[in-house]
Amino acid sequence: MSEEQITNKFIDILRGYVKDPALLEKATQKTHILKDLKVNSARLVDIIIKCEDVFGTTIDDEEADRIATIGDAVTLIQQKAA
Amino acid sequence: MGRRDRFLLGLQYVLGQIAVIVTAPLYFLFVRLMGYRIRDLKQVRNEVRRMYREQEGPWIICPNHLTMIDSIVLSYGMASLADHIFRFRRVPWNLPERKNFQRSLLIAFLCYLSKCLPVDRGGSREGLQRLLEKCLRVLGWGQGLMIFPEGGRSRTGRVKRENYSYGVGRFIEECGRCRVMLIYLRGDGQQTYGLMPRFGERFTMVTEIFDPGRTDGSGLRVQREYARRIMDRLAAMEDACLAPRG
Repeated sequence: MSEEQITNKFIDILRGYVKDPALLEKATQKTHILKDLKVNSARLVDIIIKCEDVFGTTIDDEEADRIATIGDAVTLIQQKAA
Repeated sequence: MGRRDRFLLGLQYVLGQIAVIVTAPLYFLFVRLMGYRIRDLKQVRNEVRRMYREQEGPWIICPNHLTMIDSIVLSYGMASLADHIFRFRRVPWNLPERKNFQRSLLIAFLCYLSKCLPVDRGGSREGLQRLLEKCLRVLGWGQGLMIFPEGGRSRTGRVKRENYSYGVGRFIEECGRCRVMLIYLRGDGQQTYGLMPRFGERFTMVTEIFDPGRTDGSGLRVQREYARRIMDRLAAMEDACLAPRG
């Protein structure tokens, strides 16, 4: 799966958890999930679990702790899928 | 955990232990001056003492959360002044949000001496990792850690059934030998969350040991499941507490 495909799928997942969907329209790889999208840390865990289901992978605590931006998540999923 | 952090944490504990002869009476005086009373206080303290006799520690203590001074009222309800002074190790560590108590130097200092480990919500990964290591360290000493599993004061005044934090699940998963103590605390006049309970508030305080059981799955799923089980049980304790009021 290409980086673009993963990014689009990840943003689709985020839609279910971001209170203001308009924030996602300006989202880039550098967008901070907690600060810029106003997602709380518990919802970030939900997002990561959803990613595990959608991308068929597992993400452990340490890897999850490293996810701050959309780019971090996409890179991690890409590495896992490789 | 680095040597420096280990030393600083140990120092905080020792200074807290020395200062408890001043800090504990101050907190107790505050509770008395505010006219706070806990129903069947002796019985509640005896119950907590019985739990500690069963297992000295480590404990993960999970109360509901309605005001900024819940930890003080809870600590008052859990043990007598003498127990605070002579059994300081039983006083649980707390995880207050840094920005809530570091506005005043005096309050920050009192919190430091009262086994508080500040949390930066949404802070850096390194900061959270250091905090997690400190928490696991104090649990490793066999001491208690008080975590509000809701992750913040409930805006509805009732135990959160959704949008709660999963942090408590991580501690339960990482600290295999910890026992979980649930506490439900509510004042007769507390309809919703607030800064402080009203003057002269009379509280009901219920404690119980909770076994979160075992669960299959990956780390994050397990943590979420533990958190869910704790919140479900706290909500049931709330229902039982509020039922007589109608």
